[in-house]
Amino acid sequence: MAIPNSFSFELFGAKKRNMYVLSRRRDRCERGVAERVNGVSSVAEALALGFGSGPVCLASCGPVLLPWLGAEPRELRATGRLLALFLGGRLAGYLAFAVVAWAVGAAIPVDPRTRTLVFGLANFGFAALFGISAFLPRRHCPLLPGEGTPRLYQIGSADRFRPPAALTLGFLTGLNLCPPFLAAGVRAAATRSLSGALLFFAVFFVGTAVWFLPSLAISPLRRFSVVPTVARMTMGALAIYYAYLGIVCAASWRLAPIRAGGLFIFITGMVSHA
Amino acid sequence: MPDQARSIVLAPPRGIGRSLLLTLPIALFTLLLFTPVLRQPGLPAKLAALIAWGFMLTLFFLMMRTRETYRWRRIFFITLAFMFPIGFIWDLIALRSSMSIPIEKMISGDTPFCFMVIPILLIPAALTKTLIFPGSILPTPSNPHSIAMMVALWLLATVVLGKAWCSYGCFFGGLDEGFSSVAKKARLRKINPQWRLVPWAILVAVVLLSAATYEPIYCMWLCPFKAVTEFPAVRSVQTGLQFGIFIALFLGLVVVLPYLTKRRTQCAFFCPFGAFQSIFSRTSIFDIRIDKEKCAAGCVLCQNHCPTLSIDKDSIQAGKTLSTCTRCGACVDVCRKDAAVWHIKGTPVGLSPERARLLYLYAAWVFASMFGGSIIANALQKLIGLLV
Repeated sequence: MAIPNSFSFELFGAKKRNMYVLSRRRDRCERGVAERVNGVSSVAEALALGFGSGPVCLASCGPVLLPWLGAEPRELRATGRLLALFLGGRLAGYLAFAVVAWAVGAAIPVDPRTRTLVFGLANFGFAALFGISAFLPRRHCPLLPGEGTPRLYQIGSADRFRPPAALTLGFLTGLNLCPPFLAAGVRAAATRSLSGALLFFAVFFVGTAVWFLPSLAISPLRRFSVVPTVARMTMGALAIYYAYLGIVCAASWRLAPIRAGGLFIFITGMVSHA
Repeated sequence: MPDQARSIVLAPPRGIGRSLLLTLPIALFTLLLFTPVLRQPGLPAKLAALIAWGFMLTLFFLMMRTRETYRWRRIFFITLAFMFPIGFIWDLIALRSSMSIPIEKMISGDTPFCFMVIPILLIPAALTKTLIFPGSILPTPSNPHSIAMMVALWLLATVVLGKAWCSYGCFFGGLDEGFSSVAKKARLRKINPQWRLVPWAILVAVVLLSAATYEPIYCMWLCPFKAVTEFPAVRSVQTGLQFGIFIALFLGLVVVLPYLTKRRTQCAFFCPFGAFQSIFSRTSIFDIRIDKEKCAAGCVLCQNHCPTLSIDKDSIQAGKTLSTCTRCGACVDVCRKDAAVWHIKGTPVGLSPERARLLYLYAAWVFASMFGGSIIANALQKLIGLLV
């Protein structure tokens, strides 16, 4: 670069200042554009990640969601509301986990003992809810004289809503981490702020939720009278399975050494699981 | 139950010449099937193939001669189920010196594939293009029981026979059928029909859990026949628990309950593959119809004799069996009024039911000879090898 002479120095200084200001403006502008682009690409990435891993999410949540929807005697619209509540609970579970994880300084809790405890409690929760739904006898009218089978009467609205159960199931599935959620968690950990991470999770969730819509097809199946019975029996079998998982988690929690190579064990375990 | 069925058949036996003539097509076709086995070197192989061929032909001849299906099919089916573990365990011990399969063999894809896993594979394969069974797709020297071979056989049988797979193809069902034939009278008679729904619940549960965990949950935890084939090597509390469950389910569902109820309890009240196969009940052109106009008042012989509880009052009113019907023929054989008949879909009910039965038996027996006959021959070869 040529050295300016004294005559033109002032002019050059002014030019330099102007250029500096322009440069600052351009940098700010570029940074803003870059941030916006980053934000948009991050949202798109979360959506794509969610949509891409949706089948695995559906497979993970299927044992909880599908028998539940099959056992509830509802029309399509009410099934849709139940599904929405379930998904809402699941999102709440995800975000709660993300917030707690963020609060302890990582995208995911690395203490295997804590993780085992949470998984165990979630599994016991599934077992309890499914067990209650499957095994507790439903009230029905006694046999009428001369009747072979009891006549059932629905008292009150047939579409009576029981949102807490759907919300609770959704929340528990949100706590029960699945491989796609972990992938999203690792990616969200790279974001700078908690709000950014939560936004990433929320968009990721929207991407996965699309795959849950076909589960509404259970509603028409309910015209077969055996479907609710089969669904309740399935929940009974699943209750036993989840109770077993809960016991295994409880035993592991009791036996696991506290913070024993936590991060390493967690990452290698999850990678091998995935 | 089957003994009663035998005693009340009213149809006169067919002539010997005519029965032989009807057996001839099966004889020629199965000769083609057994020829490769007959050409194998060594006396045990040749002798085993000859005995198995003769056994299958004799049973078919008796079906023709007596016009009964259930009684002779049952002999084949029980023989198949008791021979299969002999050949299978023999091969396992020759390959691994043990009936247990260690985790290393699973990782290397040496787990023999069983048709029970087919419904479990479907969802993970569709969603993630993953086969969640530690076997090999094509046969290998260390694992001849490949996924492709078994799926192809199952497809063939399902398209032609539908749910009749459970009476002619399954190499496990004969065990509980065998134990159900031991007692003369059922000690447990009143069975809640809701139990028939349990296989569907097990099917849904294992399919969903297998898709969620990427593990064949049924094989790992619930298959009663692991007790007589292979099982994970007991090296931990979990595998010990699995082994205990296999033994308990086998004793309960395959031995004790069939003996007490004279029903195929494992098939009717537990088997998820049976429920899955019921979906394909309509693929076959053969079925059984009941003409309720011919039924005697209050007669429920067919309902009482069905080994899988596939006939109830509603289905009799509807004139057909339930989708869980395995086409074993017990109801047809037991019916005094010829109300329960074999039927080919698309034809009028009751129009030459014996012809429908013959066509069905040709299809079923060709498959039975090809699949079950070779299993029987294989086990016989091992047994004869011990003696010769």
